[in-house]
Amino acid sequence: MIATKKREFKELLENIKDYNSFFLVGCSECASLCGTGGEPELAELKEALEKEGKSVTGTFRAKTGCQVLGTKVELKPFKEHLEKTDVVIVMSCGAGTQAAVEIFPDKPVYQSNDTLFLANMTRYQIFDERCSLCGECILDETGGICPVTACPKGLLNGPCGGTNDGNCEVSPDIKCCWVKIYERLNKINRLDDMKKTMEAKDWSRSQKPRSLSVRVKEEKKK
Amino acid sequence: MNFRDILNSGKFTVTAEIGPPKGTDIKEMLHHMEVLRGKIDAANITDNQSAVMRICSLAVCKLAMENGLEPILQMTCRDRNRIGLQADLLGASVLGIKNVLCMTGDHVSAGDHKQAKPVYDVESVQLLKIVDGLNNGKDMSGNDLKGATDYFQGAVVTPESNPIEPQLMKFEKKVKAGAKFFQTQAIYDIEKFKTFMAHARQFPVKIMAGIVVLKSAGMANFMNNFVPGIKVPQNLIDELKAAGKEKALDAGLNIAARHIKQLKDEKICDGVHIMAIGMEDKVPVIMERAGLL
Repeated sequence: MIATKKREFKELLENIKDYNSFFLVGCSECASLCGTGGEPELAELKEALEKEGKSVTGTFRAKTGCQVLGTKVELKPFKEHLEKTDVVIVMSCGAGTQAAVEIFPDKPVYQSNDTLFLANMTRYQIFDERCSLCGECILDETGGICPVTACPKGLLNGPCGGTNDGNCEVSPDIKCCWVKIYERLNKINRLDDMKKTMEAKDWSRSQKPRSLSVRVKEEKKK
Repeated sequence: MNFRDILNSGKFTVTAEIGPPKGTDIKEMLHHMEVLRGKIDAANITDNQSAVMRICSLAVCKLAMENGLEPILQMTCRDRNRIGLQADLLGASVLGIKNVLCMTGDHVSAGDHKQAKPVYDVESVQLLKIVDGLNNGKDMSGNDLKGATDYFQGAVVTPESNPIEPQLMKFEKKVKAGAKFFQTQAIYDIEKFKTFMAHARQFPVKIMAGIVVLKSAGMANFMNNFVPGIKVPQNLIDELKAAGKEKALDAGLNIAARHIKQLKDEKICDGVHIMAIGMEDKVPVIMERAGLL
């Protein structure tokens, strides 16, 4: 899932100061789990905006806000509300905001959140980053723990000199992932995996912007 | 004889660290170079040490040569991608720089530009492989070079790292990647260092023990608490305390000299790397007390 964090309301208010009427778009997926774009947050932002003398023409929680066509279809019943609206505020991630930009080519779209990272929810509303979406997975060689993500330097061949009694030089709150990898590989009798020198990563695999189509087969049938 | 030949000859070799200043006033640094000239076998020139922005290592290496010191170019992977690193390695080579120390580099969060984007496109092991490639006339992508480099390449290791096993595995990777010499993180416990050396001696590489001069008991405690991989034993802290505030530095110089003498006399390792951190002019004093001058 995608972790998001609410921006300061002041900041949002500053960004939208030129407008008066708003339509709020939340998302029932990640943003709901993060507490940034679910029903309670939609209601909360509506109230806050109204307190500031702004009008809210409607609120809507997309099923999957990053899905452009699906969200567009879901928004059809809100046509009238939207016509009365200056601005759409998206309360999900950067992908959700940009889906809205595509759906509303003639309207300004603002966002109420900052988009943080691809997250594991370890406990209710507690999130960890474990994957950087680098495009070249090395988990099979590192005991299933990703050093590209878990090491602030993304080191591929073992700990740096900053490893400190199992912690990272960057912060004592971060565990040295290479110590974790070592301990795990030791436990599962795969320590030899750590002896192999890993080549430098091929960053061309994550050259932006990336796109993907898995429709090749279907198109061939046509 | 140059650094490579001295180290390979089996002579106990001494290097010291010079940290480039922040700014263009290099008077003090040139003074340090003058003090060290003719005494040490080579000078490490640090690369934005502790992620604090300063004069680049490459320029100061050139200045070191002009001032009669053989430089070891410290090169971290924090600030340059593989293109930048290779370009600087070629550049350093044509300026006559023969030694390079390949390191990953302290994280930007340690330094004075905390908002910088850390690069780490490659890391220390891969950088060693890059140097090996350049020495063999190939860049990292396998393209032929018009003229190869001739580097004597080294790396770092932290013998007091805890846990030690992952550190030793990385040490072996560095050996395989072509490291010819190692300069260690500061060591203070010679007996423990001997255990590391027993392991390191299995490999055909030269090991220079890192010596960081203790200036006070406070500094020793600070390092124990905040510098990863450094452990100053209590007896040394007591020794510094007993010397009193005014003579603590002198006691620290004695400790450094005593350790160096022991490392040399007992042939524990191949040399020492003295990191005086701002007190470069004390390096000859340490060497004298250690019987090296």
